[in-house]
Amino acid sequence: MKRLFLLVLIIIIGVSGLSAKDYYIYCTAESEDEVALIRFDGKTAHVEKRIPVGVWPVEIEGPHGITVSPDGDYWYLSMAHGLPYGHLYKYKTGTDEMVDRVELGLFPATMGISNATGLIYIVNFNLHGGHTEPSTVSIVDPEEMIEIDRVETGIMPHGSRLLNNGLKHYSVAMMSGMLYEIDAMTMQITRTISTAPPNKKMNAHSGHNMKKMDHSNMKMGKNKRMSNKDKKGIAAMGKMAMAKMDHKMPPEKPTWVYPHPNDNLIYVVNNGTDNVVEIDVKKWEVVRTFKTDKAPYNCEVSQDGKYLVVTYKGAAKTGVWDLKTGKEVAKLKNSRKVTHGVVISPDSRYAFVSVEGIGKEPGAVEVIDLHNLEKVAIAEIGKQAGGITFWKMTD
Amino acid sequence: MKKLYILILIAFSIGFGQENSEKKEAKHSFIFEPDSLFLNIGETGTVTIKFVDEDGNLANNPFYVYGRPRRALESKPRISDSTGVAVVTIKAFKPGKLNLSVRSISQKREDRVMGNMPIEVPFPPLDRIVFNDPILNVYVGTYVNYKTEVFDKANLKRTESKVLLSSSNSDVAEFDSYGNLVAKKSGKITLIASVDDIKESLNIKVSKNPVRKISVSADKDKIRTGDVLQFNAKVMNRANKVIKDVPVTFSYSGRAEYGIGLPASALINKDGKFVAETPGVFTVIAQSGRFSARKTIEVVQRNVRKEVKIVGHGTVSNVNTSDLWVWPGIGKHKGKDFAATGTWSANGEAYFWDVTEPENMYIIDTVTVDARTVNDVKVSENGEVAVITREGASNRKNGFVVLDIRDPFNVKITAEFNDDMTGGVHNVFIYDNHVYAVNNGRKYDVINIEDPSNPFRVGRYELSTPGHGVHDVWVIDGLAYSSNWADGVHVVDVGGVKFSEKNRSNIQYNPFLAMAGQGSPGNPVKLGGMADPNGHNHAAFPFISQSSDKFYLITGDEYGDQFGMAGGYHFLDFTDPKEPKETAVYQVPEAGSHNHWVHGDTLFASYYQGGLRVVDISGELMGDIYAQGREIAFFMSSDPEGFVANRPNVWGTMPYKGLIYFSDMNNGLWAIKLVDNNPMGTN
Repeated sequence: MKRLFLLVLIIIIGVSGLSAKDYYIYCTAESEDEVALIRFDGKTAHVEKRIPVGVWPVEIEGPHGITVSPDGDYWYLSMAHGLPYGHLYKYKTGTDEMVDRVELGLFPATMGISNATGLIYIVNFNLHGGHTEPSTVSIVDPEEMIEIDRVETGIMPHGSRLLNNGLKHYSVAMMSGMLYEIDAMTMQITRTISTAPPNKKMNAHSGHNMKKMDHSNMKMGKNKRMSNKDKKGIAAMGKMAMAKMDHKMPPEKPTWVYPHPNDNLIYVVNNGTDNVVEIDVKKWEVVRTFKTDKAPYNCEVSQDGKYLVVTYKGAAKTGVWDLKTGKEVAKLKNSRKVTHGVVISPDSRYAFVSVEGIGKEPGAVEVIDLHNLEKVAIAEIGKQAGGITFWKMTD
Repeated sequence: MKKLYILILIAFSIGFGQENSEKKEAKHSFIFEPDSLFLNIGETGTVTIKFVDEDGNLANNPFYVYGRPRRALESKPRISDSTGVAVVTIKAFKPGKLNLSVRSISQKREDRVMGNMPIEVPFPPLDRIVFNDPILNVYVGTYVNYKTEVFDKANLKRTESKVLLSSSNSDVAEFDSYGNLVAKKSGKITLIASVDDIKESLNIKVSKNPVRKISVSADKDKIRTGDVLQFNAKVMNRANKVIKDVPVTFSYSGRAEYGIGLPASALINKDGKFVAETPGVFTVIAQSGRFSARKTIEVVQRNVRKEVKIVGHGTVSNVNTSDLWVWPGIGKHKGKDFAATGTWSANGEAYFWDVTEPENMYIIDTVTVDARTVNDVKVSENGEVAVITREGASNRKNGFVVLDIRDPFNVKITAEFNDDMTGGVHNVFIYDNHVYAVNNGRKYDVINIEDPSNPFRVGRYELSTPGHGVHDVWVIDGLAYSSNWADGVHVVDVGGVKFSEKNRSNIQYNPFLAMAGQGSPGNPVKLGGMADPNGHNHAAFPFISQSSDKFYLITGDEYGDQFGMAGGYHFLDFTDPKEPKETAVYQVPEAGSHNHWVHGDTLFASYYQGGLRVVDISGELMGDIYAQGREIAFFMSSDPEGFVANRPNVWGTMPYKGLIYFSDMNNGLWAIKLVDNNPMGTN
């Protein structure tokens, strides 16, 4: 009897060992100039490697967006800061050695690789500055690492994803409040749509005035001690500059876009109005709106199409939505403030969420079990954990 | 139809991807018809491209088309049809040997097939050749170099065009391979410059060389390494009359003082200015035609070395340290001295130190803001206000923070300013109640802080060059010196001081002050500048030489190479602000330059892994300062308790009350002093 028990035990352990998977994730640490390779074994998240990135040892270059090639052989990393233009880097997976880089626009950020063209479509976020100039999506050949085209979209483009068939690229523009569809083949914009929910669209471009928002420190009219030279200066400087600041921004401030695995629906995260809108690709209209917690930032849909996972940057939480019912089935508090990105394993089992932290606090990657809707592991990485991507699963 | 197209594409992509990739690569190819094109700028051409298998049949796989380099060619359409055929219209925008590239579309990388077709777009026709200040009268027995520039019809300088220079009469004068006209005998020639079918000519008179005597002199017979000595050549005719327009060539020979094989290293420029790097005996030769003269001088070691004594050190062991500032206390703290340091890639902290007794310096207060890097700290002239910069804020709204430091033991946050500074403020300067804040890597804004609790923007300075950036700004006497990477240093009038007896000497020697009076903080007006061809311009400091009539801007590099940080300090002679020229460089070969400060005739150079360097920059500056033995001292600020142990990495420096304060990124704040106990004395 005892022997039989031991045999059964050995078989159980053996089978469970055989069926255990390792999940490998790459995650950027934007204020550490590092990329962490994390292995999650189903129970524990291990930081396998912290890979220094960039070329300036005494400047933070800001690794932001990251993605792995469809064959898993390379990973691509956007570095936001340059002189002044940022770069796209190419690294070999496994050895994590740098292969090449190409200079792009101002603050290159999120990227996606087309399953049809094999090209990388990467937004030039241009986070800095007056937020008045439209920016672009760079299209890069990842083999030769050359930029073959730029497509102008809106102000502060962010989020960059393609349909699974690789034929359409989607990005949003935060300060334009728009979703842009680019034909991956012709490299031209084919459609645009406001990301405002249907009942808000009437007010989409009148609700937010930068002058009222961010300029509270500029009480220049009240300052009675202002010198004449400064008064002259303001006049001379800058009707131009002041006029720039006077433009109106839509309140949605969309930050992310993600297509449903069925390629019929797209989810756009409206960071400024705390909702995610579901857009019907064919009808090209918003069909559902999910009211979320504060300042949603990124999202991803599980490959089985069941869940939409949304990071709430302002609430330090992550929401899991049942796409069938349209209900939020779980809202999990993250371990530190400033929740950032999310990637879901291809088997739809786990969501990996990057959490930035504040100041010197280490960033983190938290693992959410989508079966049990609970957090199961956490790995601490460098400061300001941000871009996150899935590399591989191994048995 | 669209669905069908997509289906075909996907089906083919998948099918294509499933085949053996090696087989595929060998069997598929592109056919271009024609196989090359020749287009003028603005012209269009058409090419039919087919993607075929080994039998020449269409591969039934789409491919995309693009011009290389980017923006040189326009190609329509950008993608073939699903059978693998594209009839592409190409328009040329830039000249050169261009390519039309194609690549098949497939899911798997190894299945992708690439192709190229050359497209030659000729440069615009050449328009003219221009001689630069040509000499029209030359003398027999002399060499004269003629420099030319070529411009095309688009008025672009065509540096690749090689101009052929020739003489109409080689018996009188002829050119060597380097553009030197060798005058052989008296006569007249026509100098012809030609490239392609463009020609330009000059009439040159070759006169009998009147030189019968040449002499060379200098004011001194003995100098130190690094001293610039002017040699004057006097050329005379038979009647002992001085001739001024005969070219004179200077050269030198020498014997180093010590060591077998040690070269006698020096530099002499075309105007006869000489500077030596090694001690020894040097002979300067002035030559004109068949005549030459020489003068021998002795060069002795500069011998300016001093010993460094550590006065105090405050270890910062938990984070990287950034910049520093030291200032005298005010009010109830009058008589005390304080310092502030920032932190880098950490927790947004600035540390305030009591350095009244520098040997016992200690942190008296810490200010924490929402940031990861406090890159810069600056204190106002009156010691009441400090400004610290913010980068890496959790909400990405960076900027700067105004602090009340009247009581450095109890520093208070007065105000934050983050409007339009999302990208972070990297450096600041406080001058005359205004903060000059370098932000977003693109510009500096001028913020009025007359009321520190109510800062507001009054001006902005931003370049308009493509890809412009700015890294640092320093304001002295109402002139802002900004460092702008490839755009180099800019001198901007932000309220240049007016003449008074107090600043008379400064205005006399800083030519920009003589030009000031055009700008204000709200209306910055550029007065001058000089581009940096290397693109490394990171910091700048004006230097009115105390021992010569020169005015320099000393610009520092920042860049890294495969060995770590690199670069040096460049001495830009702005004595004539319209014709600035780089005359000297100080560069430690194995280390990288960062911030610097000038006091009197001394340069204090933060040299990252090369520690702190103190350099004698007295007198006129020419050549390689490092090699000339001008280094007074260097100090490697190693600390076993540092955040990075035993590894110097000096960030910034500031002389104060006879001491040299500096911050080390890896270990905190230091105060050192120089001790002159050289038993050999100082030359």
